[in-house]
Amino acid sequence: MLATIPTLFGVTSISYFLIWVTAGDIVPGVEINPYIKQEDIDRIRHNLGLDQPFWLQYLNWLGLPNLAQQLHLIGGTWPKGILEGDFGRSLVDGSPVIDHIVERLPNTLELTTTAILIGVLLAIPLGVTGALRRGSKIDHALTAMSVAGVAVPSFWLALILVLVFSVQLRAWGLPALPSSGAYSPLVGFDPLDRLSHLVLPALVLSFGYLAIWSRFGRSSMLEVLSQDYVRTARAKGMSERRVVYIHALRNAVIPLVTLIGLELPALVSGGAVVEIVFGWPGIGRFALDRAFGHDYTAVMGIVTFAAILVVLGNLLADILYAILDPRVRYT
Amino acid sequence: MSQHDDAIGFEQFERFVEEWSRRDFLRNVGIGTAYLAFLAGGLEFLEACAGGTSTSSGNVKEGGHIVEASIADLKNWNSVLTTDYTSQQMISMINDALYCVDSNGNLFPLVAKDKPQVSSDGLTYTVSLRQGIKWNDGQELTADDVVFTYQLMYDPTYTAVNSPRRGDLSQYLESATAKDKYTVIFKTKTVYAPFAVIHLASNNYTILPKHVLGNLAAADINTASYNSAPTVTCGAFNFVSWEKGSQVTLKKNPNYYRGAPHLDNYVFKIGGTSTTVLNQMKTGEIDIAFPGIGAIDPSQFDAAKSVDTINVYSYPRLSFDFFAFQLDPAKPASQLFSDKNVRQALVYALDRTAIAHALYFDQATVAGTSMPPASWAYNKDNQPQYKFDKAKAMAMLDAAGWTSSGGSTRTKNGATFKFTMITNAGNKVRENLLVVLQQQWKDIGVDATPSYVDFNKVLVPAITDTRNFDMFMVGFIWGPDPDQSALWHSRNARKGGFNGMQYKNPDLDKVLDDAVGTLDHNKRKQLYFQMQQILAEDQPAPILTFPNGILGLNKRVQNWQYGTFIQRGAYLKDVFVTDGK
Repeated sequence: MLATIPTLFGVTSISYFLIWVTAGDIVPGVEINPYIKQEDIDRIRHNLGLDQPFWLQYLNWLGLPNLAQQLHLIGGTWPKGILEGDFGRSLVDGSPVIDHIVERLPNTLELTTTAILIGVLLAIPLGVTGALRRGSKIDHALTAMSVAGVAVPSFWLALILVLVFSVQLRAWGLPALPSSGAYSPLVGFDPLDRLSHLVLPALVLSFGYLAIWSRFGRSSMLEVLSQDYVRTARAKGMSERRVVYIHALRNAVIPLVTLIGLELPALVSGGAVVEIVFGWPGIGRFALDRAFGHDYTAVMGIVTFAAILVVLGNLLADILYAILDPRVRYT
Repeated sequence: MSQHDDAIGFEQFERFVEEWSRRDFLRNVGIGTAYLAFLAGGLEFLEACAGGTSTSSGNVKEGGHIVEASIADLKNWNSVLTTDYTSQQMISMINDALYCVDSNGNLFPLVAKDKPQVSSDGLTYTVSLRQGIKWNDGQELTADDVVFTYQLMYDPTYTAVNSPRRGDLSQYLESATAKDKYTVIFKTKTVYAPFAVIHLASNNYTILPKHVLGNLAAADINTASYNSAPTVTCGAFNFVSWEKGSQVTLKKNPNYYRGAPHLDNYVFKIGGTSTTVLNQMKTGEIDIAFPGIGAIDPSQFDAAKSVDTINVYSYPRLSFDFFAFQLDPAKPASQLFSDKNVRQALVYALDRTAIAHALYFDQATVAGTSMPPASWAYNKDNQPQYKFDKAKAMAMLDAAGWTSSGGSTRTKNGATFKFTMITNAGNKVRENLLVVLQQQWKDIGVDATPSYVDFNKVLVPAITDTRNFDMFMVGFIWGPDPDQSALWHSRNARKGGFNGMQYKNPDLDKVLDDAVGTLDHNKRKQLYFQMQQILAEDQPAPILTFPNGILGLNKRVQNWQYGTFIQRGAYLKDVFVTDGK
């Protein structure tokens, strides 16, 4: 647990440095616009504190000077920082960064949770099928699908699905799926409408998971099926169905659960590309938008938020692993 | 500009999938093949029409809504703080400036009653406001609101406001004061002809409600809740919601002072790429793709044209793409370019008609002058025109002392004609342009090497600050006024100015100063003709093309006016949809 503090410190300081090195400047001088003067750029940079040295900007972002001032170690007025839970304000619109995150987090969770669920629900039966019919045509087809799932870039798959299910179906006069966004304009909260928007992005996102997890499911099942206790079960005259689904599956799933647990941070960060292609109003797209817009504080806010979740996700995976597999339990 | 450049890299892959046409293929496989495309091209070139109106069936339908695409999200609803085009366009839906600009680039009164009265010395603009304009909370819009809005941008008490317009406005504006409830007097520091069109008639200067923002301290304007939820407005539409990254919803202002709009609702659907925007235009999810916001890419023009539910219009915008020579005698590259015959020769060596065809998919006009063709100051007969003439280019270089034997790189007094060209990485059109330039100049014995650099970190500082370059390529966007001092005046060769090539011509300086120092339209036009002539002769920074904007409209959208100048505030209330949905 204590290791999380240096981890977070490392993540934020390195990210801050990287952004500072690469991003250039938020201030409108980046537009070649004849009506913007150098003095405007200088003045706005000063107002935003961007004319301060890098290390001081980072300390301010952390909020250390403000804490020091509260302890009467130094004077002056300093901004609140991340150490006091203040994510700061966006350099672009002046609004609190945490508001943006809170506003978009549910959208991202909706998308990634659905995708992971689809992945899990399909990967296990597919993996079992592949293992039971090892070497059959179905097994080969599933293997091919897995390879494709890993190899095909998600933005490509996304566009193909849009072309088929949005554009072509509509062109043929059939009911079609919406190609972009999380809901229709001017429609209030309508579960069916939201679901129809969710289908394509969730499928695309789940395809990658499905490919990997079904492979793991298959090999794990194969391994389990060759174990002694399975042979014992068969020798006792148990039905094959009972052997596979009651005895083998339970043990075959354990490594899969670990794997899925490790994907928990992807709940927040995993969908950026899909979010962009489908215009999904989630966190990943926001991060990318703001990175291109040189909005330091917004990007830092998201990076920190994601880092915290990654740390928590790993912790959760460790705990899950210990619960499910008694062999790794600490003594 | 930078923002769209950034988005381009990602879109390449997508277009590659959707439209495997010869052109798209070329565009996507990148720079190596671009020159081949260019060799294969070189066909006829179509001139785009300058503007018009989406045809009206005559019977106006009330009600319904329009969905417009916006690839980028809005940044800020406060007109005083914004610089990006997307925000400006959305702001002009909900708040009006004193004027906007009509299809001819002239003032079109909005909050103002009619054209400003200009004093005989040209320094004082008296603007009468319409009486009885109400903010949507019932308060009256008066001269106090107008004065307050301008104070935020020029008054020293408000320097903590992060307005990017302060430097420009306070250079010209002496004071803005309310003479009475309905009269505002603007005093300028000098006679400055573009003042009304740039500072009174732009979406950057929409009026803000003093009774909402007037009590805030200057620094608090930057973080006011108004910036993300502007509930008190005076324009054709009222703000309903801004779901960040997803959509902006507006509803009609039934009490709009110029008459209630026909549409009930207006939605900006945020996100996607130019490919997904076109897809959604096909499916009817999106009605409008407006240039600069929901852009249809030039490479998609033909594909968009072929869809029978949408109309596609292509028209010139007020921008150009150009490359600039290093002319500062302190920099080594100026040895190559200081002779204007050399600069002219390098322009003669370029087949820009073929460039417009192969790299802009014909959605650009070859530049015959530095003035965008849509401007009233454009001289279509400007001379010389620099038609592609390789033999002439080579002869001119020979005459200038740059000689070559057997196709090798030209030399003069031991110096080799060799330099580096920079542009921003990620902008495919510009990257390809440099490759074409490299090839065409190689044909006349000039060795130019393309180099792609980061826009913010390297290119902009090279242009406005360090001036460390041999040649740079970039685009420039102008306002509706033909003043081009920002690029050509020697005053702007100072640090921070855009005259990065350090071009200094006292004759031209005088022409530029005279042209903004008189309000006489005909005299200005003559002076800008002179400017175009001087620049065509000197070629400090040759203009390659004027790229077009492409507008996609669902056929159900009526009365939408489009063109180089016209701003949507002028016609928004008249727009309707044929099915009333």
